Amino acid sequence: MRLRKGASLLITLFLSVGALISFFPIYLAIINSVKTQGEMFSSFLALPTKLHFENYSQAFDKINLLHSTLNSVIVSVIGIGGIIFCAALAGYKLSRTSGRLSAAIFSLFIASMLVPFHSIMIPLTRMAKALHVSGSTYGLALIYIGLGVNMAIFLYHGFVKSIPRELEEAARIDGCGEFQTFFRIIFPLLLPITVTIAILDFLWIWNDFLLPLLMLTDSNKYTLILSTNTLFGEYNKEWSLILAALVLTALPVIVIYGFFQKFIMQGIAEGAIKG
Amino acid sequence: MEERENLFSSIPVCCCPHRGRGAVTVPIKKYKNVLSLLAFVAPALIIYSLFLLIPTVGGMYYSFTDWNGLNPNYSFIGLGNFIEALRDDPDFVNALLFTMKYVLFMIVLQNVFALVLAVFIETKTRTKGFFRTIFFMPNMISTIISAFMWTFVFSQVLPQIAEKTAMSFLDQLWIGDPKVSFYSIIIVSLWNGVGYMMIIYLAALQGVPQSLKEAAVIDGASPFQTFRKVTLPMITHAVTICFFLTLNGAFKVYEVVYGLTGGGPGRSTQVITMNIFEEAFSNNFRYGYASAKSVILFVIILIFTFIQIGVMKRKEVEA
Repeated sequence: MRLRKGASLLITLFLSVGALISFFPIYLAIINSVKTQGEMFSSFLALPTKLHFENYSQAFDKINLLHSTLNSVIVSVIGIGGIIFCAALAGYKLSRTSGRLSAAIFSLFIASMLVPFHSIMIPLTRMAKALHVSGSTYGLALIYIGLGVNMAIFLYHGFVKSIPRELEEAARIDGCGEFQTFFRIIFPLLLPITVTIAILDFLWIWNDFLLPLLMLTDSNKYTLILSTNTLFGEYNKEWSLILAALVLTALPVIVIYGFFQKFIMQGIAEGAIKG
Repeated sequence: MEERENLFSSIPVCCCPHRGRGAVTVPIKKYKNVLSLLAFVAPALIIYSLFLLIPTVGGMYYSFTDWNGLNPNYSFIGLGNFIEALRDDPDFVNALLFTMKYVLFMIVLQNVFALVLAVFIETKTRTKGFFRTIFFMPNMISTIISAFMWTFVFSQVLPQIAEKTAMSFLDQLWIGDPKVSFYSIIIVSLWNGVGYMMIIYLAALQGVPQSLKEAAVIDGASPFQTFRKVTLPMITHAVTICFFLTLNGAFKVYEVVYGLTGGGPGRSTQVITMNIFEEAFSNNFRYGYASAKSVILFVIILIFTFIQIGVMKRKEVEA
């Protein structure tokens, strides 16, 4: 659309101010994380005169960065892998089978999509205790599979409809078993929606706070977010330390964002439109 | 498309009208089909049942009891918990009202900002990618980390700026005064959430055919008219989705408030999820009562979602 020069300039101005506000807290966190406490309190806006990376080495130890990151990675990878494995199998089969049983199972999965996490957190913590999965990184991942599988089934169910049945029939004639057909022929074709699901679930699991808070008690098993939360509670006046920890926590996702920006945005748009 | 499978599945399981050879093979095939369906569905169904379905049903069940989470003996008290929560629990009702106010602000502001940004970005050709990247970036950062970053801005940076410059309006108790901190909570939520909706609006805007907009311009429509009469009706499905996502997310707000005010001072900024959390995990372990509160939250979300979807779907059809 063509706009007059003036209007176009105003829009640029508006967007620039918005971009400044958007970036402002991140910028502040970064520049102040390399100042000493004293330098910071004389001015938050001034650029640091000397880079004090000792804040970072301190934060690095305090949030047990390598260990926490590893925990987050384990939870995310197992969680996402499990969701994709379970949901692809179920979503595909439910989409391909007609009949009352299949429809009933599908509705059973969909029925809970609006249930807020806070409505199940009490019974869920008890269930996790009863099954001895609370307090463990793998147990946490297992719970994420249970919570995330319905949305993924819904997306797979819709996507499978666009794949022609002839492929499966050809595979069957060639002597492929049902599971073999699925893993060799169908699953690779589901890649676009699998990427979408992986991205949405990664953003959810990596950034989630409440479920790890409820499930994990041992600080050795804390996820990155949880460790930072603990640090924030313990050192609530030592801003240089806190900011360094916040930057360290935010950095991995920002880097991932830098690399996969296009996929992430596509994933969100696709997930929203199909959901 | 569905001929082969349909043929078998449309025949009822137990009764086969034909006797003879066919009668034997059809039920076996049918039986096999059910088995294979169950085999594919089982992993998902088992984990889902354990961690989502049973807790959901269990929560509803306990909401009608006076269970304290420990004592195996508890009794049914009907709607007692619900009546108590809504009538005799001012903290809960306040949290509910506070949350509703928050939801209302978020639905309007988040969607207005996201749509305006999307439309403005769409007019740019060269700087489009840059602005999109910047505006979406905060969304990548965990909500709780965002809240901590902003706590720094609100409690340290803004007061200092106010002190050093003449911008005294920045010198507020951004976090300490509940009247102001409501807006602080909104600011952080918007900062964190607008980008997500903007992406959805941008995707929808890209689906509007250029030719339609050009036709409108040739017919003498102003940019605003073109937007109002051509673009907006073409993206109503995105508006419905974004309203739905905002509504659902806003009712469940927890992390932003936890990170900024912790619900305080006192319980003045407590949201409904926080109230449930406090009741269940830090107060006196009234699990039954806390479950009733969480069922109330679920029902409220359900009602508002149905109203919203119902109203907007009708609008979509009209448009």
